[in-house]
Amino acid sequence: MKMITWLWTMVVAGSLAAATQASEVDQLKSDLIGQCMGGREKCWKFQSVDQIKTLTIQKKTEDSQKRVYTIVLQLQAAKAGGKYSADARVEYTKAATGWKIKQVGLLSLKKVE
Amino acid sequence: MRAKPTLAVLLLSLLLCACKSPKQPNLGEPLADLSRAERAQFEEGKKVFERVFTPQDGLGPLFNANSCAQCHEAPVVGGVGDEIEIHATRFVAPNSCDPLFDQGGPVIQQNATPLLQAKGIMKEQIPPGATAQAHRSTPPLFGFGLVDAIPEATILSHEPRHGAKGEGIAGHANRTIDGRVGRFGRKAAVAALSDFNAGPPGTDPAPDPEITVEDIEKVTAFTRFLAPPPQQIFTNHTDLHLARRGRKLFAHLDCVVCHLPKMNTGPSTSKALHRKTLALYSDLMVHDMGSALADICLEQAHPSEFRTEMLMGLRFREQFLHDGSAKTVQEAIERHDGEARNSRDRFKALTEKDKQALLKFLETI
Repeated sequence: MKMITWLWTMVVAGSLAAATQASEVDQLKSDLIGQCMGGREKCWKFQSVDQIKTLTIQKKTEDSQKRVYTIVLQLQAAKAGGKYSADARVEYTKAATGWKIKQVGLLSLKKVE
Repeated sequence: MRAKPTLAVLLLSLLLCACKSPKQPNLGEPLADLSRAERAQFEEGKKVFERVFTPQDGLGPLFNANSCAQCHEAPVVGGVGDEIEIHATRFVAPNSCDPLFDQGGPVIQQNATPLLQAKGIMKEQIPPGATAQAHRSTPPLFGFGLVDAIPEATILSHEPRHGAKGEGIAGHANRTIDGRVGRFGRKAAVAALSDFNAGPPGTDPAPDPEITVEDIEKVTAFTRFLAPPPQQIFTNHTDLHLARRGRKLFAHLDCVVCHLPKMNTGPSTSKALHRKTLALYSDLMVHDMGSALADICLEQAHPSEFRTEMLMGLRFREQFLHDGSAKTVQEAIERHDGEARNSRDRFKALTEKDKQALLKFLETI
């Protein structure tokens, strides 16, 4: 009986963690719209969520004033059609209205197709 | 009895004053019609534009310049500079262009922080995968906010126009990696002012951009609200006559097919940018300029394709062509080739007096 309760707890905890991760991913995607990742000839400007084929959070650190994500993105431009893989660092700061993006840093960008 | 004519003259003078076109802002000044808040943004942005970045701010370890104003400095902040950047990419015919993002991107950094220099690294090396390198002079930024406000559709509308014109002119718009229509940079590979501002002042293993979103917005406000160069109005009869003749020749030689004299901005939340006409003298498209000028590819622009240079403010420059290798405007014209060959040949065939007329006209824009 104890074993079943323990397993059930693990399943619920896992589901909750996955749901939190999913909502965090959706929030990140939404916050990235309008931001330029990189600069000059290697700027990816997020114009719509549709451009972000996948977004995976690799690492997250947080304190009372700063939240930093390291993410991996699979991107595709609607018009040019090129597919890119990118690593990025997204930094948030705590503002009066909540968390606000301070910097979207491009770590690497590679054309995959 | 004498009051009536005096009043009439006064009223007429007031009316004439009201009808007079607004004074053109001087070089380096903000656009007319800015709101008080926009004017404040311009001033704030200018401070960031002039700020000297240090390694402690995130500059480097490899970089080209330690402030925006180090390159865009003459004759006023936002103008030109004598710095020449080095760019490199990999081109595989017929259509594959690799901007070498995984090796640091196309802009090669010419300086290193003291920490990196101590390790024996003085500058970035040309990536081994590069097939060509290019030199790039510093463009003036006057009027770039108005260029930024030109709708993509306006730029794209000129593609079929070129096709229909014939005469070997067949330019096309370039597109950025994320699919937007490019307009800035000598290969039109940058779509917006804010993109460009996110780039300098350095690249390295640390994430780009190295300045905050807030500072990028400030610098963008400065460049966005920087007025286009004022047009030169000759007051002496000889120059005025020559420039008028030159304007006609500029059209007659078909220079205007690519160096499109005017383009309109679209709707904007800023009154200063809303539906304005800009005398930029470019179609913002890339054209084949011949094999002698060819250097690197960038996005959909082939090595021999360059965006039609914006000629506004030409008289404030001291070096010409994309790489600054032409010492005079005449030399730059005479080195046009490819799609511009016909116009160049017709320029070369002009009498000396007509050549001077065309060059005099270019001093007015």
